[in-house]
Order: sequence, then C-alpha cells, then structure tokens
Amino acid sequence: MPSSHEEMWEKLNLDIDAHAGLLEVLGKFYGDIYMSQQGRLRGMEYLDFVLSEVHGLRIKELQDAKVSGRKVIGTFCVFVPEEIVLAAGGIQIGLCAGAEVGKGEAEKVLPRNTCALIKSFVGFKLARLCPFIESCDLIVGETTCDGKKKAYEIFSDYSPIYVMEIPQMKNFSDRELWRSEILRFKTQVEETTGNKITADNLKEAIHLLNNRRRVLQRLNRLRAAVPVPISGRDALLINQISFYDDPERFTAKIGELCDELEERVKNGTGIAPEGTTRLMLSGCPMAVPNWKLPYIIESSGAVVVGEESCIGTRNTRDLVDESAGTIEGMIDAILDRYMKIDCACFTPNTERQENIVGMARDVGVKGVIHYALSFCQPYTMEAYKVEKALAKAGIPMLAIETDYSMEDVEQLKTRVEAFVEMVR
Amino acid sequence: MKLEILKHFEDIGERFLLDISELDGTDTKVAGIYCLFAPTELVRAAGAIPVSLCGKREKPIADAEETLPPNLCPLIKSSYGYAVTNTCPFFAESDFLIGETTCDGKKKMYEFLGRIKPLHLMHLPYSTTEPHAISFWRDEILRLGRFLEESTGQKIDRDHLRFQIRIHNRIRKLLERIARFQAAEHAPLSGLTMMTVMESKSFFVYPEKYLDMLGEFIAEMESVAASGFSPFEPDAPRVLLTGCPLGKGSEKVLRIIEESGGAVVCMENCTGVKGLDLLVDEEEKDPFLALARRYLQIPCSCTTPNIGRINLLDRLISQYRIDAVVDLTWHCCHTYNIESRVVGDFVEGREVPFLHVETNYSTSDVEQLRTRIEAFLEMAGCRSNVRFANSRLN
Repeated sequence: MPSSHEEMWEKLNLDIDAHAGLLEVLGKFYGDIYMSQQGRLRGMEYLDFVLSEVHGLRIKELQDAKVSGRKVIGTFCVFVPEEIVLAAGGIQIGLCAGAEVGKGEAEKVLPRNTCALIKSFVGFKLARLCPFIESCDLIVGETTCDGKKKAYEIFSDYSPIYVMEIPQMKNFSDRELWRSEILRFKTQVEETTGNKITADNLKEAIHLLNNRRRVLQRLNRLRAAVPVPISGRDALLINQISFYDDPERFTAKIGELCDELEERVKNGTGIAPEGTTRLMLSGCPMAVPNWKLPYIIESSGAVVVGEESCIGTRNTRDLVDESAGTIEGMIDAILDRYMKIDCACFTPNTERQENIVGMARDVGVKGVIHYALSFCQPYTMEAYKVEKALAKAGIPMLAIETDYSMEDVEQLKTRVEAFVEMVR
Repeated sequence: MKLEILKHFEDIGERFLLDISELDGTDTKVAGIYCLFAPTELVRAAGAIPVSLCGKREKPIADAEETLPPNLCPLIKSSYGYAVTNTCPFFAESDFLIGETTCDGKKKMYEFLGRIKPLHLMHLPYSTTEPHAISFWRDEILRLGRFLEESTGQKIDRDHLRFQIRIHNRIRKLLERIARFQAAEHAPLSGLTMMTVMESKSFFVYPEKYLDMLGEFIAEMESVAASGFSPFEPDAPRVLLTGCPLGKGSEKVLRIIEESGGAVVCMENCTGVKGLDLLVDEEEKDPFLALARRYLQIPCSCTTPNIGRINLLDRLISQYRIDAVVDLTWHCCHTYNIESRVVGDFVEGREVPFLHVETNYSTSDVEQLRTRIEAFLEMAGCRSNVRFANSRLN
C-alpha cells in the first residue's frame, strides 16, 4: 500500500508502526490464499484492488466524504438497518474484524474466553489499528449476544457507542419492540447526519440496497453451477467487501463479475476439476481477513459453494418490499425484512434449520461444515440441532469450533480432509 | 451456636416435597422456575406453586454434555443434566416450567428443556431504560399470565394478585431484615448459614406459614444479636460476595473464603440480597404494570448497562461495612464475566480490595482458589485492622 496514506493514518491516530506490520502480514496472507489461485475471474481484479486499498483509498474516500459533510456510521451486525443510514445521506461501514492482532490489548479488558470476533474489534480499537473505527461519527452496537452486549459497555470507555436492542423472539410484541428501536435509530441517525429522512430518500435507499442484495443473490445462483465457476474464497471475499465498499459502485462491479460468471457457466468452465466435493459453510460470520477455514477446505479437495452466515446468505436472502409509498409503510417493510433474519440469538429459531437444509439442497452439496467461533454459545448450541436436521435430510455435517489463531490449522485440516473423504 | 430453628431451613426442601405430596390428586399445579425474573406473585395468583429447580451440583453435568457444548456455565449444564436424568425431585413435581431469556446459554438450553416438559419462555428486555422496555415487559408478564391461566385452568383475579403482591412484599422485607443482621459489628451468622436461610425463599407451599417461620427466626436472631455472638474472629475481614448465583452444592467459593478467615457478611447475587430491596408498588392501580416495574429493576448482568448493580453494591459496601469484595463468575458466563471489569473498577474506585474468581462446580481447583483467596484476605485483613483501629479511636 502506498505510503502516501501515512499522513492520513497519523491524523486518525493509528499506531503507524504496528499498522504497517498489519498491512504487511495481511498482504502476504492475501497473496498466499488468493493470488495463488488458478483461473480466477477477471472481475476479481476489482476485489483485489479494493482489498489492497482497504485501509488506503477507501479510507480516503470516507475522509473526503466527511469533508463534504457526510457522516460515517460503523456497525457490527446485519441487524442495523442500513436503509435508514443511507436515506439520511450517511455511509454505513461494517466494523467486524477477523484478525488476531489486537488480541493482547483486548484481553486486558475482556475475559480470554470471549469469542475472537469480539476480541478482534475491541483489540483493533485499543491497539489503534482500524482506520474505519477511527473514521466513524457514530458506532452502533446491538444486543445480539451476551458477549457483544456486554463488550460494548467496555468499548464505550474508549469510544461512544449507541446500542440497539435486538429482540430474541418473534412474537407480536417483539415486532413492536423492534419497530420502536428502528424509530429510535432513525431519530439518532437524523441527528448525527443533520438530514431528515423523507419518503423519497428512504425509497431510494431501499432500492439501492435491494439491488446490492439482488446482485449477491445472482452471484449465489451462478456459483452453484456444475462445475463450480468461482472459488468459495472469492465469493466470501465479495460478501466481505460488500460491508465496506460504496454500495452503488460495488453493485455495478459485481454485476459485471456476474456477467463474466454467466459466460463461464454457459461454457461449462469451472474453477475446480469436476468431481471436486461440493461443501457449504454454515454458522458464524467470517470477517476480513478470516479466510482460514475456506482456505483449509479448498486445499483439501473440496470447494465451498455457499455460506449460510451473516457474511453470506443471511445478509442477502431477503429483500425489503418496495411497494410502500409512505415512510410508515417503508418502515413496516424494513421491519418485516429484518425480522426474517435467522440469527442464532433468536429462540427457537427453527427457520434457520429449514433454511440450511433448503440451501444445502438448492446448491447441491455433499456436506455442510458448521463453523462456530469458540465461546459463541448461540451457534455452538444450535450446531447440535442443525446436525440433526441435516441428518434427517441425509446430509452429513462436520461441526468445527475455532478462533482466529493459526495454531489449529493442521488439526483442522486433518478433520476436514477426513470429512471430505467420507462424503465424497 | 446452633439455633434449633435453623433445622427448619435446612429441611425446607423435604418439607416442600411432603406438603406437595399431600396435594396429590388435587388440581394444584407446580411451576418449576429458574430465575428471579419469574414473577412468583403471578404464579401464585393463578393457583400454582412456584419452586426453584436444581442446578447446583456437578453430578449430572456429564449427561448434559451429551447435548450441550462444554463451553457453557455449570449452572446451565447442571440444570439441564438434572432434567434429562430426571434426578431433581422438584423437577419431577413440576407440571410446567418457566424460563426466561436472561443469557444466551439458558435461552438456548430451554429449547432442549422444552422437549421434556411444557415450558413458557419469558422474553426479557435488555436495555431496561429505553422507552420500549416497560410496556414490552408488561406484555410479557401478561403473556405469562395467559399461559398460567391455561395451564392451571384458573383465572387470575386482580384482587387475588394484589393479595399475593402484598404477601411477597412482606416476605422480601423479612428476608431483607434477616440479611441485615449481618451488618452489625458482630455478624451473628456465618455466610454458609445465611445462604441456607436465604435459599429457603424458593421452597414453600404455604406463604403464610413461611412468613411465620421467618418471623420466628427473626425473634430468635434478635436475642442472638443482643448477646453479641459471632462465629467470626473479631478482626475477620468483612467480605461481600457478588456475581453468579450459588447455593447448596455450589458453595465452594463461599466455603473457601470462610475457611480462610473471611466473614462473608453479604451476598449480592440471586441467592443473596439481589432484589430483596425491590418491592412491588401496592398502590399502583394496574398490578401488572406494578410487577413489570419491579422486576425490570432486578440488577442482573443480562441488562445493559447494569447500573442497578453498581448502585446496589455501593449501598451494600457502606451498609455492611465491607472490607473486601469477591466477584464469582461461573466458567463461560459471559455477562457476569465481562461485567466483572466494570464492577472491579467501581469497587477499587471506592478503595475496597477486589478479587475476581472464575470457576466451575468441580473440586479440581479448590486448593488453587484457596491460595488466591488466602492471599487476598490477608491483604484485605490488614486494611480491616486499620479500619478496626480507626473505629476504636473515633
């Protein structure tokens, strides 16, 4: 990454030396996992570029937008309604992190047995390594799980944070709770941005974000072809970048990539040899640069053709109904859409099991790898039920619990290889 | 000194089972509960009898782990283990269960428990100060009311509910008075004995009889207190134990503190004084709203931010003249574990020594815990002596 950004990073009060070290490691990691792939799509060059500039040009864009009066709002969860932020002229950025770098700092304020994702975002803040966090005018947390809910209390010692309450059930009163939280959020966003949300700008925001979901849905349909036209790693990267990149540009670029994919599918060109075992990932989100498990899977004679996770279909499966014309109607439509999210924080969340089985059938996989971050109780507890539901459908499942460290790579590889061997 | 009346508290579980067996063949239903958030007034108003379910021993955990992941708190695993092995007599007596979404582990465990017995899950709001919280929680209490009415076949009469509210308020006041004996310079009961007394609050069939028993106990305690008797050494550091709930079978940390010379004069947890100072407003026209208001104030770590716990600790540290605070977290209880830092910062800010202990129900770490606690109390004891000397000088 060009050092011309260094001035900007200094202004954002990053730890320049540690940050340089992070970028170096990230670059090498990316090279090993991504650039080593054969027969990648031309369209991935865009993603390579975006990632290489993830802390550079994209941050510069955010800074420039801020100068022009736009506000940046950081989030940790697909539950935060981006439509509201976009309608008010704000820019929403996903802040979840997938690297271990700030772990030491995080463990000074959080218990060690907190999940890696939580320790990572707290660590990035404490170690002054994340220009996204430092660019935010508002950071939004939510009460999805015990760990996040309580970690935000600690995080708030270092940076103000606005917390949304996420319902845990899907009864009538939960809908009303969530409506009241969306309206409270709307007021907050209007205050932060200084812009009023109108029927016009909200309609436009809904449409734009639906388009981003549509293009990702298209990607998901195309990647399910036989032979598989794109690696799971690349598809994951596209989903990851959807949380950082400008939504309009991203949608256009991924549209082009899908055109290219379509061509491949027509020609029967695959990324992996025919007969490569098709698998699906399900469970916790994998934030940049958490590519460990997909890489292990795809170097074990299998290919990943779907991610049932927040950085995956959970974020793209459902659209907001676009037929409403009033703000109230649109808020209702947003409410409906977000209440469909099948996060493991819900109970009993049986729809997730149905969605997983349905997806595994649709994309035609030989097996599912359930991925849970260590100490993530909602997903580790659901793994048991997911396994039962899949078994009923005749689909084997492997439950993996891991974190961001590289210590267990060989052990995981052995387990994944054995699983691939078994389901082949 | 051993009070005769303590035997009633020690045997209260058996008494409960006896009393319940006499009701066999009647329509009386038993509601198994797991948490302070279950509004027992409402359960009684529907004619059911609430009882706390087992979850304080290591024994059934291995059976629970066949279904539940190991990285889960022992209380949840033990509760599920008792249920799945059908070894808890109170569970066996329960006609239905009331769960609540206090933490991720329990919330998801109830999905499994609901397969064994009918279970009603209460949904707790976590941001208790936001505008939606009170009406949402009142709705949840009403929803529980409908479940209770269906399960017992008995309508909840508002006047009867108000009657139950008054009774339960009286119980809380008496328990609070009992706890307060320990605030005296010579605390008359050991922490372990007080734990037995406090645990009784979840095991009675007849509230009036229970009130009488508490009244009698208070009368006896008054004479003990007047005699100046205390089971502790005069210079024993006065310890406040806070954090996760504990009870008979999981009293490991409490026992070690007292064996190491500490005087546990107060427990700020669900089996201790948490919630005893919170009464239901008897004057409020809408008893459901009154219940909602009271229960929403319980300073559980599942709420965010849990200011109520800090305020309560602040008051208890002064009231009970606390020399040291020990914060107990059961292994993998994320909410109490993470909140421990907030609590620790506060307690140390008040210049009271603070120790955070994370453990489970096994005995494998007892000696290690003992070493840490002894060292901690030694340090706290020095401070206690200073305070002692100062109070003599004044």
